Amino acid sequence: MRRLLDRAAWFARRQPLGAAGAVLVTLLVVAALFAPGLAPHGPKETAFAPYLPPSAEFPMGTDHLGRDVLSRVVWGARLSLYVGLASVLVGITLGALWGAVAAYLGGSADTASQRVVDSLMALPPIVLALALMAALGQSVTNVIIALTLLLTPTAARTVRAVALGVKEHPFVEAARAAGCTRGRIIARHILPNCLATYIVLVTTNVSYAIVVEAALSFLGVGAPPDEPSWGGMLTAGTQAMEQAPWLIVFPGLAISLAVFGLNLLGDAIRDLADPRLRGGLG
Amino acid sequence: MLPRVIARSYVARRLALFVPTLLGASLLIFVLMRLVPGDIAQILVYQTGSESSAIQERHIRQIRAELGLDRPLITQYLDWLAGVLRGDFGYSYSQRRPVNEILAERLPRSLELALLTLLLAALWSIPLGVISAARRNTWLDYLVRVLSISGLSLPIFFTGVLILYVLVRFFRWLPPLEFVSVLDDPVENLKQLIWPALAQAYYISAPIMRLTRSQMLEVIRQDYVRTARAKGLAEGRVVYRHALRNALLPVVTFIGWWGGRLLGGIVIMEIIFAVPGLGTALVQAVSYRDYPTVQAIIFVMALVFLVLNLAVDLLYGWLDPRIRYA
Repeated sequence: MRRLLDRAAWFARRQPLGAAGAVLVTLLVVAALFAPGLAPHGPKETAFAPYLPPSAEFPMGTDHLGRDVLSRVVWGARLSLYVGLASVLVGITLGALWGAVAAYLGGSADTASQRVVDSLMALPPIVLALALMAALGQSVTNVIIALTLLLTPTAARTVRAVALGVKEHPFVEAARAAGCTRGRIIARHILPNCLATYIVLVTTNVSYAIVVEAALSFLGVGAPPDEPSWGGMLTAGTQAMEQAPWLIVFPGLAISLAVFGLNLLGDAIRDLADPRLRGGLG
Repeated sequence: MLPRVIARSYVARRLALFVPTLLGASLLIFVLMRLVPGDIAQILVYQTGSESSAIQERHIRQIRAELGLDRPLITQYLDWLAGVLRGDFGYSYSQRRPVNEILAERLPRSLELALLTLLLAALWSIPLGVISAARRNTWLDYLVRVLSISGLSLPIFFTGVLILYVLVRFFRWLPPLEFVSVLDDPVENLKQLIWPALAQAYYISAPIMRLTRSQMLEVIRQDYVRTARAKGLAEGRVVYRHALRNALLPVVTFIGWWGGRLLGGIVIMEIIFAVPGLGTALVQAVSYRDYPTVQAIIFVMALVFLVLNLAVDLLYGWLDPRIRYA
């Protein structure tokens, strides 16, 4: 415990902004993990009067269907984090594998895969997600699928660039000379050396995935309206924002703080993982 | 002689990538639109209701045959592509007019909004980035950095909704019902577009500011800047004449690159501020499952995006010869 605290203190001194981010992210994770215990009511419970202003009983008021906004914001943390983590882990992992394999194989396989990446990246991200959601239909799982498709090509391109460098190292040649199979070289020699890039991609993209989920729900094509998605709550709030501004303020703040925290923490991790970038960004 | 050949091959290589990428993207959209559960024929028929299911079935088959939806996918795609090459994007079922008309009406509005956004963003984020770098590690630098990272953290739809709230609540602002072209009345036009442009400019100014700052820090360490200082130039002259010019190159290309990515945000801004642009048309078409319109709009967006990227790459190569020969 002592050592853990020492380490935390070291991190806070080294990366004060990152530490602030870590606090916000901890809040987000706690809200997500313990939503059933923390939220006073169920996220879909409609047992109250609509449009109640913030009060002691309902600290964030109630929405147009008489649901407790605080409870929905807390449950929203779980939805956001679930969508963000699931899509980033699946998307970046697939992309990293794709990039590493393409880089190692090279030649026409690599060229063909690059063209697919180009085509996927030729569409503005939100627009691609919009088209995907139109095709797949509204649901939380489909949002994750759409986000995965958005993240995979970016990760493939980045990891490919790194893997192209790794491939030229003498140890790869040595492994080949020792008779390693292609699969073994990629799995044991190329991929482990792309780990730093992978970690940076994961940490910097969780916030991005959360924003895109919220944007899709905001446009009415993401999570179904009864799900406690911060983006969806914001849309519902705009319908009555003059009478009930708390309906836009609290979900909006929740998204902003979550994304702010994740960005700060992600930047700090990137700085620590890649000293070359230190000091340049942020 | 040799460098010119290489330079030409760089341009040729970039151009050669352009067409397959565009085709790939268009095929992707085309296939995606065919995955939609429930096609336009079903929607058109079920909307009218009242008929018995047997008649409905026949009706659906009839519409599908009319629209060519019963033919193999690849034939449909090639037909569509041939149409696009002739400049014919098909017919919009939800708006009951040729898609070309929608594009011609809406595209200029969205481009104007995008341009205004970039202009506003560049106007304040480049000076702030320079100041932040020149006064590195002072309170001013920290303020600018916190501001910029908070700009990135406030999702554009939240910024947009907040601005809309302030306008509606305190200034009794209402989104105009009719769009006024900049050619007819520039002031009215600006009144409508300035708010969505501001909201998004705040968001994209963060990365521009960060890049300007890091580029300035990079350039200020260069030998020629030290030389400029050593020969006794005033600090202001060193920063603005020697450092900034070199630092701005990547910034300018980055802004161009953002121009393309902006399109997604434009969709959101148009929805919030009721701007009848390409984005609103897209969301509307998606909800009606109006394939031809969705396909055409996404295709045009991809085209704009790719053209911008290409222009940025070529510009970069032209400005910085090291890239061409790499």
